[in-house]
Amino acid sequence: MKKAFSLRKTVLRREFWTGMLLLVVAALTLEASSLVQYYFAKKSIIEIASKRADDNLENSKVDILNILNQVETAIRNDIWMVRSCLPNRDTIWKVTEHVVRENPSVVGSTVALVPGYYEDRELFSPYSFRSSSNGEIIHKTLASEEYDYPSKQWFYEGLKHEDGFWSEPYLDTGGGDIMMTTFSMPVRDYEGKLAAVITADVSLDWLKNVFDDVVIYPGSFGMLFSREGKIMVSPVESLVMHRTLQEMSKQYEDSIAMKHFTNSVLSGENGNLKIRARKRVHRVYYAPIERTGWSMSIVIPNDQIMGEINRHTRIVSLFQFIGLLMLMFILLSAHKNQKKYKKLSENEERMEKELEIARGIQMAMIPKTFLPSPEREDIDVAARIVPAKEVGGDLYDYFIKDRHLYFCIGDVSGKGVPAALVMAMTRSLFRSVAAHEDSPSTIVSNINRSLAEMNENNMFVTFFCGILNLDTGHIKYCNAGHNPPLILADTKMKLDAIPNLPLGVMAEMDYQEQTVDLRFDDSLFLYTDGITEAENISHELFGDDRMSKVLSVRRNAATHLEVMEKAIKDFVGDAPQSDDLTMLFIHYIKAKPGYSAHHLVLKNDIKQIPRLTEFIEGIIEEKNIDASTAMGINLALEEAVANVMSYAYPEGTVGEVKVDVRIDEREITFMVSDNGKEFDPTTRPEPDLKSGPEERPIGGLGIHLIRTIMDTVSYKRQSGKNLLIMTKNI
Amino acid sequence: MEVKINKQDNNTTVVRLEGRLDTPTAQEVNQRLLPVQEDASGTIILDCEELTYISSSGLRVFLTLRKAAAMKGGKVIIRNINDNIRNVFMMTGFLNLFDIE
Repeated sequence: MKKAFSLRKTVLRREFWTGMLLLVVAALTLEASSLVQYYFAKKSIIEIASKRADDNLENSKVDILNILNQVETAIRNDIWMVRSCLPNRDTIWKVTEHVVRENPSVVGSTVALVPGYYEDRELFSPYSFRSSSNGEIIHKTLASEEYDYPSKQWFYEGLKHEDGFWSEPYLDTGGGDIMMTTFSMPVRDYEGKLAAVITADVSLDWLKNVFDDVVIYPGSFGMLFSREGKIMVSPVESLVMHRTLQEMSKQYEDSIAMKHFTNSVLSGENGNLKIRARKRVHRVYYAPIERTGWSMSIVIPNDQIMGEINRHTRIVSLFQFIGLLMLMFILLSAHKNQKKYKKLSENEERMEKELEIARGIQMAMIPKTFLPSPEREDIDVAARIVPAKEVGGDLYDYFIKDRHLYFCIGDVSGKGVPAALVMAMTRSLFRSVAAHEDSPSTIVSNINRSLAEMNENNMFVTFFCGILNLDTGHIKYCNAGHNPPLILADTKMKLDAIPNLPLGVMAEMDYQEQTVDLRFDDSLFLYTDGITEAENISHELFGDDRMSKVLSVRRNAATHLEVMEKAIKDFVGDAPQSDDLTMLFIHYIKAKPGYSAHHLVLKNDIKQIPRLTEFIEGIIEEKNIDASTAMGINLALEEAVANVMSYAYPEGTVGEVKVDVRIDEREITFMVSDNGKEFDPTTRPEPDLKSGPEERPIGGLGIHLIRTIMDTVSYKRQSGKNLLIMTKNI
Repeated sequence: MEVKINKQDNNTTVVRLEGRLDTPTAQEVNQRLLPVQEDASGTIILDCEELTYISSSGLRVFLTLRKAAAMKGGKVIIRNINDNIRNVFMMTGFLNLFDIE
């Protein structure tokens, strides 16, 4: 049983872990699929971001180049004018003035001649510029002792770049810190000799707005760096023209990425990278403006790019998580239910098993072999328990010791295993106490004391115990609250039994002993109330009458019980058996060889008397009784039977007269019984045997004869029967 | 039960009873003896040599006959009864009522 339990437990545990494994696999699958989903989503969202950034960079570049190209074109278009004015240097003013006037984005313009181009003027650089206050064009010469233009980038680089050169941005110190850049192109004279550099100073004020469209994600922004790394556009305006990329990159923690970025930007590459700055990951897209050597960057906080996908992922994950939780809950509750169910069915099974065990105990404790064993002729004993589904605590036991039959029957209050155990205990006590006691009251008292002392569950036992002397039919008995047995002698009658208290109630209890004499052929029927209280579906009880009816036919002990069980089953029908049915039938046949019992039933017709004669003569013959006694017996019986036939039943009705005869070594007992009206012949007065023939009564002779012939004569009215019992010593 | 009635000349009737005079037969015997009761002025001899048994019903038959005879001045003599029947007569006081030879 323990093994089975642990095996079941193992299986249960395995099932549980299978469930859990399933859950984990489900979780992993979900997670993997959402990872893949996340990966592709991320990839595509980054691609989108990248595309948007690139588009933005491209747009900004176009915007910038549009403006710069106007300047370049204007300058390029004016070069011929400069060339034509070179021979007459004072006319060069017209050109610079024209450039400024015709191009609103050009703040100032100069034509700076290569030093020594004019032999009489080392440096010559007429300059026109728009006044910041009133917009008028003012002319001046840049060349001075303080301003050595050949050393300026715009000049020497301008000379070198046939296509023109955009200078590093600078702040116009004279015009309110406006960021400026200068475009320079070389000018050759008609002989092809480098003569001058023509320039246009361009305000870069408009660049501030060039990245306005870059706010494609919350927190994204654009930056512009010069060829040398100067910050030209930044959301932090204070940095513009005051800081360089190189300086800035040192401030950030992600130095490797920043260095890479700086290098890439300074070498005019395009690309993108992730930079961690201010504890936030940023995705930076950058592209050069080759014409000017500038580099544009668009910076987007990574979490903003991922924001959507993260939100999306969070929602999906949440659903997945809820799903998994639900799955787990279902698995757990299923497991729990299963466990509960298993436990329940285990309990039920165990209960069933225990009941079976209890029933086993009960059945093992009671004697199986019925008396008589084949060689026994003096007694016929049969007993049976028909156990209810739920084991009750019925018991019986009997054994023969020194030509005495010890027997008992009992009913433990309650049902189930506890009752079965008390029953087992009671039966053991009976065996052990009865082994050395020959008084039923002592046996009962001893059992009672033991049970009462051990009685923790307040269970009690109704118990009847008797000892039958097989030689004499004398029974000593003691009742402890059990229903009194039936004696099936001349009639059925309940044994007169003092109830007393059931066993186990009070340790110090005096149990009274009683006696009764069984005649040969008498029977004792002991039973538990399961018999009389057997219920059919309409809650009728089987009752005493039905029980008596079964017992009124002569049968051997075993057959009696079989018939009784069947009668009960037929009566009860489909109603469930609620209590054990227990019966013990003791038929006291004869004490010794030579003892015998005989029975005859006659109708109330005097023509049947020859049968009686025949019956009696058979008995007499068997016993070798002398003729005189034999005739006396015959006469007495005839008188008794004829008397019944004549007076017991009303004229014209059919009735019976029963004759039972028991013979032992000393005497013959005759009992004449009838179901007729009560009539006691022994009360009739003795006839006056001395009176004369005239006064001599016709009646009364019969009973007189009986009295004279028999040794004892007695009358009993019992259970509606007249019993005339006569004995004759032999 | 056999009842043989032999009426003799000297106003004597011999009734021979054979077998059992018990309850079932007593009535029949009584019927058979009605003529004897009618003519009971003489001597009636009941020969019981072959009577094996008598019960109180049989005794009643005897008593009825005895009463009839007494009324008509006759007498009943019982002859050859065996010991068992004599015992019954004794038990019932009938020995005093009849002349038993």
